[in-house]
Amino acid sequence: MTNRLLNWCFKKSIWVYHANAGSCNGCDIEILDVLTPYYDCERFGIKLVHTPRHADALLVTGPVTRQVRERLLRLYDAVPDPKLVFAVGSCASGGGIWFDSYATCGGLDKVLPVNIYIPGCPPRPEAILYGVAEALGLVPAQVEAQTYVEA
Amino acid sequence: MFENVISELKEVVFCLRAGQVTLGYPFQPHPPEPGFRGVPRLDMQKCIGCGACANACAPRLITLSDRDGYRTVEFDLARCTNCARCRDVCPEEALTMSQQFETAAPSLRNLRITLQLRLVSCRECGAVIETQRMARKVLGKLPEPLGLSPQEVSWLDLCLDCKRTRAMAEAVLAKEVRS
Repeated sequence: MTNRLLNWCFKKSIWVYHANAGSCNGCDIEILDVLTPYYDCERFGIKLVHTPRHADALLVTGPVTRQVRERLLRLYDAVPDPKLVFAVGSCASGGGIWFDSYATCGGLDKVLPVNIYIPGCPPRPEAILYGVAEALGLVPAQVEAQTYVEA
Repeated sequence: MFENVISELKEVVFCLRAGQVTLGYPFQPHPPEPGFRGVPRLDMQKCIGCGACANACAPRLITLSDRDGYRTVEFDLARCTNCARCRDVCPEEALTMSQQFETAAPSLRNLRITLQLRLVSCRECGAVIETQRMARKVLGKLPEPLGLSPQEVSWLDLCLDCKRTRAMAEAVLAKEVRS
């Protein structure tokens, strides 16, 4: 039910707001790449907006430092419902090499509910595009949990 | 005035010649260049559970835990930086860097690899020594070139402490026999 509701809500163009939560700028550069005519995410109606109040989705990069945590929560509250949250890069999706640092929260999932994790250091522009398309239900997820028990 | 028209016409010709630069990406594949490091791929049949990768991993995403006769090797690929250090140190070449980059997942559970390997316990005190695959590898390497006796090979399923105790006991025994 919620899935269908979400599908209906995000049928049209989604506008994204890009938030840097302590990223090293690698992922931010890749996000900029996605916006260039070469990758051209505006084909799918994805557009970068300059205020969270116009946004449908948050693209968050970085391991969420302690300083930025409160701002990120305020940013999240400013985005109108229903909203999507993307964790772009290894830092945002799992904390990266700062997962146990005292200065960071160790990943976006500790702070906000995340819809799609896009790991990579940095993720390729294609990977970001794939993640967004996956969130919109255009393409299937490719990674699965792998388990093996020796007999 | 004419100059402007000419320059605009030039621009039109240039734009027509440029064609389409946009990739058809999500609908057409766009493979990365050779040598691109994507997600590490673990060959479950080759891994012996030695933990060299866990030692080398920069984001410490590989964890080992011994419980109930099994060694569990867990990869939490969400924070993997694709640095390939695990591949470089793997003695069995069980880890390879794949070309896969489309790793977006709706849940962190999708990004986990869990591998459970059987353990060898010390036959005297029951302490964990190593995995069965490691023991098999050592057994395959030792006797031929070193010419070990079967009795010495049987020490392989003793833990370090028990080996030490037994070596001391044997040394003392040998001294008593000599004197």
